Amino acid sequence: MMRLEKYKIGYGHCEVARCEEDLAFAKAEFISIIGKNGAGKSTLLKSINDRSLRLDGTISVDGVNYESLSAVEKAKKIAVVLTEKSFSHFLKVRELLELSRAPYTSFYGKLRDEDQAIIEQVLADFELVGLAERNLSTLSDGQLQRVLIARSLVQDTPCILMDEPTSHLDINYKADLLLHLKEYCKSHDKTIIYATHELQIAQALSDKVVSIYNGQIELHSREEFNTSQKLKEMFPSRNISFNNGTISFNF
Amino acid sequence: MNKKWYVLFGVAVLLLFLADICLGTIFIHPAEIFKSITGAHPESTEHFIITQLRLPRAVMALLTGSGLAVAGLLMQTLFRNPLAGPFVLGISSGSGLGVALLVLGGSVLGWSLLSGLNVVIASILGSIAVFLLITLLSLRIKDTMGLLIVGLMMGSLSGAVVGILSYFSSSEELQRYVFWSLGSLGNLSWTDLMWMTIVFGICAALLVYVIKPLNILLLGESYAKSLGIDIKKTKWILIIISSLLAGSITAFAGPIAFIGLAVPHLARLLQPQMNHKTLIPLVILLGAALLLLCDLIAQLPFSSYSIPINAVTSLFGAPLVIWLIYKKLNLHF
Repeated sequence: MMRLEKYKIGYGHCEVARCEEDLAFAKAEFISIIGKNGAGKSTLLKSINDRSLRLDGTISVDGVNYESLSAVEKAKKIAVVLTEKSFSHFLKVRELLELSRAPYTSFYGKLRDEDQAIIEQVLADFELVGLAERNLSTLSDGQLQRVLIARSLVQDTPCILMDEPTSHLDINYKADLLLHLKEYCKSHDKTIIYATHELQIAQALSDKVVSIYNGQIELHSREEFNTSQKLKEMFPSRNISFNNGTISFNF
Repeated sequence: MNKKWYVLFGVAVLLLFLADICLGTIFIHPAEIFKSITGAHPESTEHFIITQLRLPRAVMALLTGSGLAVAGLLMQTLFRNPLAGPFVLGISSGSGLGVALLVLGGSVLGWSLLSGLNVVIASILGSIAVFLLITLLSLRIKDTMGLLIVGLMMGSLSGAVVGILSYFSSSEELQRYVFWSLGSLGNLSWTDLMWMTIVFGICAALLVYVIKPLNILLLGESYAKSLGIDIKKTKWILIIISSLLAGSITAFAGPIAFIGLAVPHLARLLQPQMNHKTLIPLVILLGAALLLLCDLIAQLPFSSYSIPINAVTSLFGAPLVIWLIYKKLNLHF
């Protein structure tokens, strides 16, 4: 369970967006963030761990004020999938996953049997066993994205934030990966919040939708969002029709 | 992890260390070394050469090679830049500036402050001054690329000051400065080496403290932060370790080029991975072996001449780095 209260995001004196009502995300909920380019999707996700992007508001995870936690305790609550990829050229998939157990390992970073067990489990779940010994720099975009999602799951947190987890992927991988994530979210009781441009998949799979439009952050149930005129307002074009979860082009 | 490289370079370091003591203007039989250390002939010339000249120099080569290589590796991880080395932060330029101010500035002002100890103190003060300036700037400059450029600018700034000073100083003082800047592993007393060892001990203790965050930094700063790593503290400790290593080495041995930059790449060429727990021991062995070899060459065995150590490391190092870039061989962070 994660709550954002009186939340306001932006840069310095420039406010990007705010929510009038508190946002609450429950366990085992698969939530998409939708908004046009520059609306503040990434800023909203980054502001959870970057105090400078949060102009106002509090975050609580499982009833605890997130800010009051130590850095390591925070790392046990929220894991992230970022769009930036500045890894060392020599890092292997398995090493990446091993290092992501850092919040649980000892001072010297030694892995216990249960750490290894979680890594093996996630490798198997995401069909990454064959890639485990590969360098990150040799992976395709799709493979790397799967590895980064696996990385966030290895961290074993109740909440996971993902910034465009399916960007640059072929449409079949997008659909498969997001469905897989939704199933994982249900079977492991995770709260997964992901920013996306995949409107149609989001409308089909999300339990809830966070929309960011005109500086307002709002939380909708899927049914309410799909039947509303929100998408039409957000992405106005006379060439596109949005109709209860389907998108069609008028040409 | 491939154990054979560790064994190979461990043996190489031992052999080169022995060879560095045996070879020189005169050849000393290895058996003689053992006798000297156990104190069999305390009056002999060999005993003096071994215990007062060659053994301290070989120990210094060992410390300098491994210290610069580790500093280079830490800088490359910290700055996420394959071309970073201990000189990038301008620490050795600061050292050079300190020595130049003492040796050349003293002569301009008509003072004579020259003694071995003064040079060491000036060098350490110079590196600390640059280090403090860089850390002050790093409070404002958040990105590591900016810091890297500031380091380069510090180098060029101190180069300019050295240039002005040398223009006005006497040829004798100038020669003295040039000799220091060419580097030397010799002329060190056992007390000097004791100080070096203490500094290295402090660095080793600090290194153990940051070994886990150091590996997590390989994921990039944002991910490292999301894993609960205190980025600021880790960076500070890494900067302190690198400055202590580079500053103390430059103080006693003068600026020695290329070891810090090239050794981490050579190590990754042998073992293409980045785990610092296995890479640091390899880099230590490789750095020590390489500088012992360079010192051996610099001594020009069986002749009565020797060449400056910095010339040897540059003659080897510069073509090596060009070759690495030409071959596009793993020149990555």
